[in-house]
Amino acid sequence: MSTIDWLVLSSTLLFIVIYGIYRSRGSKNIHDYLLANQSMPWYSVGISVMATQASAITFLSAPGQAFTDGMRFVQFYFGLPLAMVVLCITFIPIYHRLKIYTAYEYLEGRFDLKTRVFTALLFLIQRGLAAGLTIYAPAIILSTLLNWDVNYTILFIGGLVVLYTVSGGTKAVSYTQMQQMTIIFIGMFLAGYMVVQMLPKEISFGNAISIAGDLGKMNVLDLSFDLNNRYNIWSGLIGGFFLALSYFGTDQSQVGRYLSGKSISQSRLGLIMNGMLKIPMQFFILLIGILVFVFYQFQTAPINFNKTELSKVKASAYSSEIIQLEKKHQKLQAINQLEIKQLAIGINENNDVKRKAAKEKVLVYQKEMADVRKEVQTIMKKNDKKANVNDTNYIFLTFVTNFLPVGLIGLLIAVVFSASMSSTAGELNSLASTSVIDMYKRLIKTDGSDSHYLLVSRLLTVAWGAYAIFVAQFASKMGSLIEAVNILGSLFYGTILGIFLVGFYFKSIRSNAVFYGAIVAELCVLFIFWLDVVAFLWLNLIGCLLVILFSYLLSFYFGKRDIEFANSVKLD
Amino acid sequence: MSGENEKPPFLKNWTNVYALVIINLLITIIVFGLITYYYQ
Repeated sequence: MSTIDWLVLSSTLLFIVIYGIYRSRGSKNIHDYLLANQSMPWYSVGISVMATQASAITFLSAPGQAFTDGMRFVQFYFGLPLAMVVLCITFIPIYHRLKIYTAYEYLEGRFDLKTRVFTALLFLIQRGLAAGLTIYAPAIILSTLLNWDVNYTILFIGGLVVLYTVSGGTKAVSYTQMQQMTIIFIGMFLAGYMVVQMLPKEISFGNAISIAGDLGKMNVLDLSFDLNNRYNIWSGLIGGFFLALSYFGTDQSQVGRYLSGKSISQSRLGLIMNGMLKIPMQFFILLIGILVFVFYQFQTAPINFNKTELSKVKASAYSSEIIQLEKKHQKLQAINQLEIKQLAIGINENNDVKRKAAKEKVLVYQKEMADVRKEVQTIMKKNDKKANVNDTNYIFLTFVTNFLPVGLIGLLIAVVFSASMSSTAGELNSLASTSVIDMYKRLIKTDGSDSHYLLVSRLLTVAWGAYAIFVAQFASKMGSLIEAVNILGSLFYGTILGIFLVGFYFKSIRSNAVFYGAIVAELCVLFIFWLDVVAFLWLNLIGCLLVILFSYLLSFYFGKRDIEFANSVKLD
Repeated sequence: MSGENEKPPFLKNWTNVYALVIINLLITIIVFGLITYYYQ
């Protein structure tokens, strides 16, 4: 990176951190620290919700995903607007009326302490690990591409986030997220604009999209119903709906964001904003990936975008095989480029015969190049079983560092940092809220003063920050466990949502029925996952429905006992 | 804390806001369908 890039990067980050600390200074009580005094306007809530969800990996992975797999990933978000409507109607009024700090507080009033603690613990375990990975994922990519030390990168990102999150709590998280989202939007828009500018002169934006379409990348909508197909309209609408309902309705890292809204109306509008903007935003990010794909049709692309893994295998006994495959890949790219030009001429001249002939040839070359890349990945795995052969996350940043002008590289790196920091801040803040409100204040010290809980909240934010950095430092040694941790988190979402939905909509079902029903449902979800018979998103729906079903059935068994128990115990 | 019956600032009532979100989603899906049909 050049000096100008360093200047852009450091001044952007410094401004965000100092601004966040300055604007949120002087939190005097726990209500202010954890809920920003419930003073946030709707646009702040909306931006905060979006910034917490969109981690660095969203901005690095999505363009790469479009590059390799086309636009179909956008369908993943179809259920989100519907989930926002349900949250506005049911969840927000209940949470606001109960004046709670965390979503899990509701569960004690509705069921009992064990259900609250059980759900809060699930959240702490899963989100604590996820916070570490939120820092680790961009750090490893940045360090690979820019030759930075991964441990220092992790410490830097984690340290900055802890600094302002501890100092200003929820307010600092919201204020910085506003700046971070601004940087992200400006950076991504400029990146998109630059790719179009850097295409060959004869290729307009429209031509680029037509080329991508001919190569099967504009597959935005897939109507086929297939339980094993991860991204189609049905998995997106149904699975995505339940995933979004669970994530935004029961995950404290999101609930904490919209509970900071000034009123029910402001919280609702914040979520509506998310429901309206999320799909267009993802569409735009994926479209950048499509444009980068077209750009690389006129350039020589590396055989694998993860240069560290590639040089590792080149230095191994498989060196000559890799070099031969590289040569073959380059040859294929050269003839592919000629045909792509013919395809572009066909499109420009509206000559369907020429276009069809070129398209058929290009598709053959694309298939051959994909086979060569797969062969390289197989060799990489043979050389090192732990090798990270999937280079999707490296595509966009490789393009940024190799082709974008000085200054813009620094800004795009700032985008990655901002996205990582905004998600991590929301996560640390919610981890601290849940540990203080659902654990410390409820189980350890129930009669502390407000200033005592404020101090404990700050200390726990530091502790969770340190834990996240610790997890991130060891993530590289976890190997495939990283994927397992990501999957593990989502495996619980359906069950947690089921518990909340029973609470909201099935008034006759009580604590023991839902508690044991949830445990049985979770075991079933794990078993179905182990069988590997359905695509991932469907597990959210299955988990949720099973909790409702088992709780309902168990309520006949526990019904009388639960009512007797409820009458004999007065909850505080 | 204002009540849950508070009106939204832009439209007459919340039902209209929710309807707008759903209509927006439907239009998005139709546009995506047209893009897929046109470019594939």
